[in-house]
Amino acid sequence: MPDESEQLFSETRLLWISLTKKTTKIQPLDSTDIRQFLGGRGLGVKLVYDHVSPEISPASPQNLLVFAVGPLTATSAPTAGRFVVITKSPLTGTIFDSHAGGYFGPQLRRAGFAALVLEGRADSPVYLWINDGDVEFRSAKDIWGFEVSETTDALLSETDPKAQVACIGPAGENQANLAAIMTDKHRAAGRGGVGAVMGGKNLKAVVVKGTRGVAVADEEMLQATVTRTRRLIKKDSITNKSLPVYGTSVLVNLGNEYGILPTHNFQEGTFNDAEGVSGEKLLERFFVKRYHCFGCPIGCGRISQVQGREIGGPEYETLWALGPECGINDLEWISIANDRCNELGLDTISMGSTLGCAMELVEKGFLKAQLHFGETAGVLELIEGAAKGQGLGKELGEGSRLLATRYNAPELAMQVKGLELPAYDPRGVQGHALAYATSNRGGCHLRAYLIGPEILGSPVLVDRDRTEGKPELVVLFQNLSAAMDSLVLCRFTTFAFSVSDYADLASAATGLSITNKELLQIGDRIWNLERLFNLREGFTAKDDCLPPRFSKPLPEGGSRNRISHLAEMLPEYYNLRGWDENGNPTKTLLKQLNLA
Amino acid sequence: MPVTVEELVKFIDHTRLKPETKRAKILELCEEALTYEFAAVCINSVHVEYAAELLRDSDVEVCVVVGFPLGAMLTEAKAFEAREAVRKGATEVDMVINVGALGDENYDFVRQDIEAVVNAADGAIVKVILETGLLIDDQKRQACILSKEAGAQFVKTSTGFGPMGATPYDVRLMRETVGPKIGVKAAGGIRTFKDALRMIDAGANRLGTSSGVAIVEGYRWAGYSDAWLQPDKPCWTCPSRQASLAKQPKEVYLWYKARCVTCPHRDQNIFND
Repeated sequence: MPDESEQLFSETRLLWISLTKKTTKIQPLDSTDIRQFLGGRGLGVKLVYDHVSPEISPASPQNLLVFAVGPLTATSAPTAGRFVVITKSPLTGTIFDSHAGGYFGPQLRRAGFAALVLEGRADSPVYLWINDGDVEFRSAKDIWGFEVSETTDALLSETDPKAQVACIGPAGENQANLAAIMTDKHRAAGRGGVGAVMGGKNLKAVVVKGTRGVAVADEEMLQATVTRTRRLIKKDSITNKSLPVYGTSVLVNLGNEYGILPTHNFQEGTFNDAEGVSGEKLLERFFVKRYHCFGCPIGCGRISQVQGREIGGPEYETLWALGPECGINDLEWISIANDRCNELGLDTISMGSTLGCAMELVEKGFLKAQLHFGETAGVLELIEGAAKGQGLGKELGEGSRLLATRYNAPELAMQVKGLELPAYDPRGVQGHALAYATSNRGGCHLRAYLIGPEILGSPVLVDRDRTEGKPELVVLFQNLSAAMDSLVLCRFTTFAFSVSDYADLASAATGLSITNKELLQIGDRIWNLERLFNLREGFTAKDDCLPPRFSKPLPEGGSRNRISHLAEMLPEYYNLRGWDENGNPTKTLLKQLNLA
Repeated sequence: MPVTVEELVKFIDHTRLKPETKRAKILELCEEALTYEFAAVCINSVHVEYAAELLRDSDVEVCVVVGFPLGAMLTEAKAFEAREAVRKGATEVDMVINVGALGDENYDFVRQDIEAVVNAADGAIVKVILETGLLIDDQKRQACILSKEAGAQFVKTSTGFGPMGATPYDVRLMRETVGPKIGVKAAGGIRTFKDALRMIDAGANRLGTSSGVAIVEGYRWAGYSDAWLQPDKPCWTCPSRQASLAKQPKEVYLWYKARCVTCPHRDQNIFND
C-alpha cells in the first residue's frame, strides 16, 4: 500500500544534490508538507526557510537553489507545465520564487521528482543530466561562456533531443544580480537573480528527460474539472481573445491610455509612441506564430521574426522595459535587445529598468556616460557588459538599487526591496501600489495582480483610485497566488477561474478535500512563512514602501495629478494579515497557520 | 450578497444574436443554458427550431428576437416573424419598437405595431425593446406606456446593436413607469456580475447578456470581499457618459450632454475612468 505522500503527490520525490560532493540523495516527500504547502513555491519556500539561515549569503554555496513543480504538473490541467525556482535572492536578499513556462517542468515531474534541491558548489563548471531517475554530473567546461541557444543546442545534442534544458547564460556565469535561468531558449525564470545563484554553484544547466506517467489521486474529478476550466478559459475574452491574438503586449496601449505606462524611468505615465511599440504593431510587423507552453490553451507567447531571425517574444514587460521606460520607440531594436537579453540570460524587466535608471542618472548629472533617453546607441553594449561584467555594464548588472546608490541618488532607483518595479505606475492603481510595497519578493506585479480588477475589469472593475477595500483584495490575491504558484499554474488563469476552480484542481490532484477556505489558508501560510524568512533576514515594516517618486503627482496623461496613497492602506493591510503594527505576524496567527 | 448564485441565473437570458452565429454556437449556448439553468436563451429566429429541440423538456425558455435590430420594417413582417417563431418553438418574443414612429409621436402606429406582435405571439411572452440610446426620457416613458397598453409583458432597454447599452438609470425610469406588474429586461453591455447586480437593484427582472457564464463565474468572487460591490463613481453608469454623437441623433446626444451641465457629480467625470 502506498504511503500517504505517494498518494498526495504521486510518484514524485525530492532530489537533493550536493554539487560540492557530487552526490545525490532521493527523499520521499513529507506528507505534512504537501498538506500544508502543496508543492512548487510552497514546498520550495519551506525548504529554503528550514535550511538557509541569515548567515548564509545568497552567493554562498550553502544557499539552496530549488527547482520545484506542483501536484498538477504534467497533468491535463490547463497551464500545468510550469516550474518555479526558489532561493535567497542576491538582488533583494529576500526569499525569492521565480517562475518559467515552457516544457521543462513536466519533464522534471515525469522523471519522478517534485523538486531538485541544489546545494554546495562544484569545483568546476558542470551540468546535470537527469534521465528519468538517473542523475549524472557532467563537465560543462566546454560550454561555459556559451549563450543560451548555443548551450541548449549543445546539451540536447550531448544528451537527448527530447530532453529539456534549463540553463544560464554568461550573465549567470558572471553572477550578475540580474541573471535569469532560461528554458526552451527564450522562457525565463527571470526575476531576482536566480541565474546568479546557479552560476555561483558552477552549474551551467539542468537537462532533464522524464518518460514516466503521472498519476493524480482522483482522475475522474480531475477530468471533470479540466473540462470545466478549459471551457472557462475559452469563454473569457482576455484568455480567449486578447492574449492569444496580441500576446501580453496588448497591455501597452491600454496602460498608456490609463496613464500608467511608466516612461523615462517612471517620470511620466504616458509614452507618445506607445502605438509603435504595442502588441497590435508587433502583430503587424514581426509576428510569426504563437507560442504555447505545455498544456496551455491560451498561447500568449510570441515567436517573432526580426532581421531574418526567429526569436521568442518580446513580452509586454520587456517591450516596456526596453522601450518606453528608456524612451525608446524602435520596436525592431527592442525585439533585438530582448533577444540579446535572452541569449545572455538576463531579466529583461530589471535590465530595462536599470537602464532607465542609468539614463536618468545621466540626465540629472549624477553619472557621466553617453546614455540618453530615447537613444539606442551604446545600449546593446551595456547589456552585453551587464552580462559579462564589463565596464559600466557591470554596474548595471548589479541592479538599479546598487547603481543609484553608488551614484548618490538612491531615490532614482524604481525598486521595492531591491527588485525593479514592472510596467505599471502605482500612482494610477492604488491596490496595485499596495501589492508592490508588500510583496515578499520586492517590486513585483504578480504576487497580487490588481491590474485585473483595477484596469481590466476582471472579474469586475473596481475604482482604481479608491483605497477602501484594496487591502482586502491584495490579501485575497496574494494568498490565492501563493496557492496557485504551489500547484504551479499560470497566473493568467485567474482571468477565467475563481477560487473554487483552483480548490477543485488541488483536490483532484492530491485527493485531499480542499475547500476554498483551506486553499486560501495554504496561500496565507506560504505568505507568512516568506514574511518570517524576510524578517529573520532583517527586513522590517520600513521595507514595505515605494520609491519617493510615487508621492509626487504624475505630470500628465490618464493618471495625471495622482499620487500613491500607500500609507492609508498599510495599517489595514497589516491588520487583515493578522500582523502587529510593525508588520510582524502575531503568535496567534502563526499558531493558526501551524507555523509557530 | 444581494442574491444567491442560484437566484442570479434565473435572471439571465443567455444571448447570442451576432449575424455570424453558426449552429455550433447555438449548441454551445443551449448547453450552457442547461448547465447553468438560465431563464432563457435569446437568439435570432433562424435558429429557433434547433434551439427548441435542444431545450425540449427543460425549464429554459426559447426567446426569439423579432424585427431585430432596427424595428423599422412593416408591422406585417414583424407579426409574421413572431407567429412563425412561436409556431416553431419560441416561448418568448423580443420585438424592437418602431423608433421613428415614436419620434414622430405617431403613438397609434407604435401601439398597433406592438399589438400585432402580441397577437401573433399567441400567448408567448412579448418584450418590447425601446432602444433607449435613441430616445430621451419622455420618449422612453411614452414607449413604456404604449407597450403596456398594447399588452406586452415586458419592456426591454436595448438591442445591444444600438448606440447605448442598458444603464441603471434607464431601468429605474422604466420600472417607475410600468409599475410592478410588467417586467423590465435590461440588455446591452451587461458583462460582469456588478453590472448585473446594478440592473437588478434598479428594478430589472431579466438580464439579456452574452456574458452569462462570465457573470455567474465572476459572482463566485463576490463572497471574498465587499470591495467588489463598492459603489462606483456616478458617471460610470450614467447614460450621459455613454452618449456619442457618432452613434446618436444630434438632438438626442445634446439632450444627454445637457444633463451633465447641471449634474452634481460633474467634477467626478474624469475622461479616462
